[in-house]
Amino acid sequence: MLQLVVAGLTVGSGYALVALGIHIILRATRTINFAQGEFVILGGLLAYGAVTWLHANVWTGLALATLLGFGIGLAYERFVLRPAARAGELAVTIASVGTVYVLLYGHALIWGSLPQPLPYFSGGAQDVKWRAFGAEIAAQQAWVLGLLLLALAVLYLFFERTTYGKAVRAASNNPLGARLIGIDVDRARAVSVGIAIALAAFGGTLIGPITLVGGAAGIGISIKGFVGAILGGLDSPVGCTLGGLVVGVVEKLLEGQAGYGISDPVVYSLLLVMLIVRPQGLFGSRRAVRD
Amino acid sequence: MNRDLRDDGRILPFAALLVVAFGILARGDANLMQAGTFAAIDAVAAIGLGVLLGNVAQISLGQAGFFGVGAYALAYLTTAVTWPASVPLWLQFVAGTAAGTLLAALFGLVLGLIALRFKGHYLAMATLAFGLIAAGVFRATAALGGASGIANIPYAQFGALSISGVPAFWYAWGMAAVVASLTFNLLRGRTGRAFEAIRNDELAAETIGVPTRRFKIVAFTYAGALAGFAGSFYGSYLGLIEPGGVSVNFSIDLLLMVVLGGAGRISGAILGATIVGLTNIYGHNLENWRPVVYGILVIAIVIAFPRGLIGIVPRRRDAKAAPAPDSPGPAAASPALARLRVDLPADAEWLVVEHAVKRFGGLVAVNDVGFALERGKLTSLIGPNGAGKTTLFNAICGIGRVTSGRVLVAGRDVTAWQPHRIAALGVGRSFQNARLFGEMTVLENVVAGAFRAESASFASDLLALPASRRSGALAGDLARDALARLGLEALSGARARDLAFGDRRRVELARAIAARPGLLLVDEPAAGLNASERARLRDDLLRLRDDGITLLLIEHDMRLVMDVSDRVMVLKLGSLIADGAPARVRDDPQVIAAYLGTGV
Amino acid sequence: MHAGYGKLAVLHGVSLNVGAGELVAVLGPNGAGKSTLLRAISGFDATVTAGRVRFADADLAGRKPEAIARTGLQHVPEGRQLFTELSVDDNLRLGAYGRPRADVERAAAALYERFPALAARKTATAFSLSGGEQQMLAIARALMASPKLLMLDEPSTGLAPQIVADIFRIVGELRAAGTAVLLVEQNAYLTLEHADRAYVLENGAIALEGRAADLARDPRVQAIYLGGATDE
Repeated sequence: MLQLVVAGLTVGSGYALVALGIHIILRATRTINFAQGEFVILGGLLAYGAVTWLHANVWTGLALATLLGFGIGLAYERFVLRPAARAGELAVTIASVGTVYVLLYGHALIWGSLPQPLPYFSGGAQDVKWRAFGAEIAAQQAWVLGLLLLALAVLYLFFERTTYGKAVRAASNNPLGARLIGIDVDRARAVSVGIAIALAAFGGTLIGPITLVGGAAGIGISIKGFVGAILGGLDSPVGCTLGGLVVGVVEKLLEGQAGYGISDPVVYSLLLVMLIVRPQGLFGSRRAVRD
Repeated sequence: MNRDLRDDGRILPFAALLVVAFGILARGDANLMQAGTFAAIDAVAAIGLGVLLGNVAQISLGQAGFFGVGAYALAYLTTAVTWPASVPLWLQFVAGTAAGTLLAALFGLVLGLIALRFKGHYLAMATLAFGLIAAGVFRATAALGGASGIANIPYAQFGALSISGVPAFWYAWGMAAVVASLTFNLLRGRTGRAFEAIRNDELAAETIGVPTRRFKIVAFTYAGALAGFAGSFYGSYLGLIEPGGVSVNFSIDLLLMVVLGGAGRISGAILGATIVGLTNIYGHNLENWRPVVYGILVIAIVIAFPRGLIGIVPRRRDAKAAPAPDSPGPAAASPALARLRVDLPADAEWLVVEHAVKRFGGLVAVNDVGFALERGKLTSLIGPNGAGKTTLFNAICGIGRVTSGRVLVAGRDVTAWQPHRIAALGVGRSFQNARLFGEMTVLENVVAGAFRAESASFASDLLALPASRRSGALAGDLARDALARLGLEALSGARARDLAFGDRRRVELARAIAARPGLLLVDEPAAGLNASERARLRDDLLRLRDDGITLLLIEHDMRLVMDVSDRVMVLKLGSLIADGAPARVRDDPQVIAAYLGTGV
Repeated sequence: MHAGYGKLAVLHGVSLNVGAGELVAVLGPNGAGKSTLLRAISGFDATVTAGRVRFADADLAGRKPEAIARTGLQHVPEGRQLFTELSVDDNLRLGAYGRPRADVERAAAALYERFPALAARKTATAFSLSGGEQQMLAIARALMASPKLLMLDEPSTGLAPQIVADIFRIVGELRAAGTAVLLVEQNAYLTLEHADRAYVLENGAIALEGRAADLARDPRVQAIYLGGATDE
C-alpha cells in the first residue's frame, strides 16, 4: 500500500502545483482559471518540443518550459483575463473555459493528439530505485517530489522574503492601497499569473516522464487540481498544496483497491461534498467564501 | 418585453423558414440531414442553458449530466424494461421521453438548490462537479451498461413511421420549434421579467418583491428539463448512448454554443447549435482547428461582442416597450389593484422597531433602537457618518438581519424575513446609488417594480394563457401610472444605463412606488443632485406623502430634511439621541455636538 | 476645479491652497464632496473635469494615481486601505516602496520611534490590529514616503476620543516639522481647534473659508451642518 502512497504523492505533486497555481491566480485576479490543467499539459509539451526539435536535454527542457510558461502567463493575463474582467466575473469564467478549448485542441494541432514520451530526468530511471519502509521509489518519483519541494521553497522565499514579492501580495490583497503606495497593480497582477502558469508548466514537465505529455488529460488534471484546492482551502497556499497531494494519494489508493472506474466519481463527489459542507476547505478562512 | 425578445420574435419565424427550406433542399443528403438533426437536438439543450446563462446569469458546466439522464432514461425504458405486449412502441417512446424529461428536471431542481449557496466561480465548480458525478455514475452503473452504455435503442415508431433519417430531422426541428415557442412565452411573461431583474441586479430584484431564490431554482429546473428532453430523443435517434458522449466535453460544447450564438437569446442558442452542428459534419479535415477557433471566438465574444454572433442581426429601432394593455379601462378599477392596498389594521403601524441591536463582530452598529412610524407622515433619519442608518434600513427591509430585537411591518414580525416577502407586504425601497436595472428601459424598470402585483404562474406564462397577459397588462398600467405621478413619461423608452444622474434617482423612485406601497424607504435621495433637482425631489416627496404613503428617509441634506420632514430622528454611533419636530431637533445641543463635535 | 465620478458632477468650482507647514481643514456635512476633493487630487476614482490641480510646480490633473503618489503627495483614504494579510512591518516598509534599502531602514526606524505602539506589534498582521492602531499604521505608512503633503480623510472615524487626541497630536507634530497637511474631518470644532485655516464645503462648493480661529466662532458653520437659514 505504501507503494500506492508514493505513486499518489507523485501524481499528487502535479495536482498540488495545479492547485497552487489556481490559488495564486485567484489571489491576483479573484477568479478561477479553469484552464490551469491545460497549461500543465502545455508545459510538458514545450519541454518535449525542446527535447525533440532543439535536441536539448530534459533539464534544459524543464527550464525552457518554465520560462516560456511565465511569458505565456503574462500574455494570458494581458490579453484574456484582463479584458474579460472588464465584462464581469461570469465573462472571465467563460473566457477561461474558452481557453481550455484553444489549448486542448491547439496543442494537438502542433504536436498531434497522441501523448508523447518525455525522457526521464536521470536517464534510464527504471533501474534506479530506492527502498524505504517496504516501498520502492523510482528515481523520477524522487525527482518529482524533490523538485516540488524546491519550487515551493523558491515561491516561499519570493513571496515572503523579497520586497517585490510582498508588493505583489499587497497588490492582490488590496489593489487600491497598493496604488496609493505607488505599486503598479496591473503589472503585479500579470506577474502573479505569469508565476502561476510557469508553475503549471514546471509541473507538467516534472510528471511528464511518468504520465506522458499531451493528450486529453488536461481537463481531468484541472478538475483534480480544483478538488485539491477546495479540499485544502482556496485561500491557503499550504492548504492547496496539501490538498493536491491528498487527492493524488486518494486517487491511487482507490485505484489500487477498486480499479479505475471508482476513483473518479469518488473524487468528484468529494468536491461536491466539500463545497456543500466546508467550502473554505480545511485550511481556508470563512472570509474567503463570502467574497 | 425587452428588445432582444422582440427581435427574436421577428427572427424566429424567419429561422423556421430557413429550416424548412433546408429540410426540403437537403433531404437527399444523409449527412446533411444528420447534421441538421443533431443541430436541433443541441439547440433544445442550448436554449435551456441560454435561459440559465443569459437570462438569469447563472453558469452551468454540468448540462451534459441532464442530457445523459434523459438519454439513459429513455434507453433503459425502451431496452431493459419488458413492456406488456399491448403497449405500442410509440407509447413506450413517449413514456421514455416523459420519464427522461421529468427525471432531468428533478435533478435540475436539486442542482438549483445546491447552486443557491454559491456564487461566481464556486457555482461554476459545483455545476462542474455535478456533471462529472453524473458521468461517473453512468460509467459505473452496470444496469446502465457501464462503460459501453446501452445499445440497440429502438427508433420511435408512430404507426408505420419510424423516426429516423428524414422524419427524424422534421421531428427534431418540430421539437425545437415547440421548445422555442414555450421559452418565448416564458420570457415574455412574469417569469421572464423576474429573470431579467435578477440578472441585472439581484438585490434590487429582491426589494421589489422578486423571490430570487425561487426563480433561480426554476431556471435550473427548466434548463435541466430541456437538456433531458433533448437527451431522450438523442438516445432514440442515435440508437446508442454511452458515457463518453455525455461527458464534461459536451457540457463545454453547449456552453460554447450558447456564448457563440448569443447568450440569453433563443435565436442565439439555435444559431450557436446550428453552427457547431453543421461544421461538425463538414469540418472533418479541420478536426482540431474548429475547437480552437471556437475557443478563440468565445474569448473574443465575451471581451468585445457580448451579444454573440446573433448580434450581427440589426436591431429595430423601436420606442414602444410596454406589454400592450389588455383593456383600455382605468387600472384603478381592477380588482387586482384593490388587493394591492394592504389593509393595515387600525391598531397596527407601518413600521415598528423594537430594541433593535446589530453587531458586526465586536462592533455595535445599532444599539437598542426603537421607534414607531406615524401613519402617513414623512420621517427622516439623520446622523453623522457611520451612525448605523443604512444598517438599520437594511435590517428593516430584510437585507441583513438585526442581531436582536424585532422589526414589525404592517403588524407582522418580519425580523427574519427575506426581502421579497417584506416587499410583498407593501414596502418599497430606493437605494443610495440608484440600483436600476441597467439594460432595461425606464418603462421596463418600473414595470419590474410592479412585480408584486403580478400573479401569473409559471404554467400560464409557459402556455401564454390569458392570465399571463393580464398579469403583464396590470404591471404595465401600474408602471405608466407611477411614471405619470413623477412626470417621467417622456423617458419611458430610454435605456436605464444611459440616464443622467438626476433622472436615475427619480426612475428608481418610480420603480419603488409602482406597486403602490404603503411604506416607502428612501436612502439618501438628494446625494449628487443640483439645486433644481433638489427642489423637484422635495416636491415629489411631499406629493407622495400627501398621496398617503408613509415615508422613512435617510438624508444628509439638512435643508431638505428640515423642509419636508414631519419628524426627525437622529442616530449617533448606533443610538437614537433625538426624536421630534425638525426645528426642535436642530436646536438640540446633543445633535449639534454629534455633527460638529465638541470643542471650545 | 470641477470634479466628479463619471457622469456625476460633485465639485463645482472649488479653489483652495495649502502651504508648507500648514494644517488646512476641509469641513462640511456628509455628501458635501470632501472625500471627492481628496480623491480628485490624488487621482483615485474621481476625475477632474475642469480646472487645475498644481502641486509643487507640477500639474496633477489626469495623471495616474501611482505617479501622483510618487511626486510627494500621500493620501490616506477613508477605510485606511491597509494590507490586511501582511505584517505591520511589511505594511510600513511598503510605504517606501521603490526607495533604496538604506532609506527604507532609516525611515522605518524613525517612524517606529514616533509610533511606539506600532513598534510593539511589528510582526502582527494588520488585520489583527485595533481600529486606532490601524489608523496609526496607515498614517505611518504614508509618512514612510516622506511626503511634502499629507492628505487625511476622516482619520477619527470610529475611534475613541483618546486615540483621536493622539492623532491630532501627531498631525500637529508633522505640521511643526514642515509637512503640509490637508485634513478632512466631520468633527468640526475639534478640528478647528488644531487647524491653521479651514474651508467649509456645502453641496460641492466652498461656502466658507478663513482662519480656523475665526470659523470656530462663526454661527454659519453650524447652520451649514444643520440646515439653518444662511444666504445661498
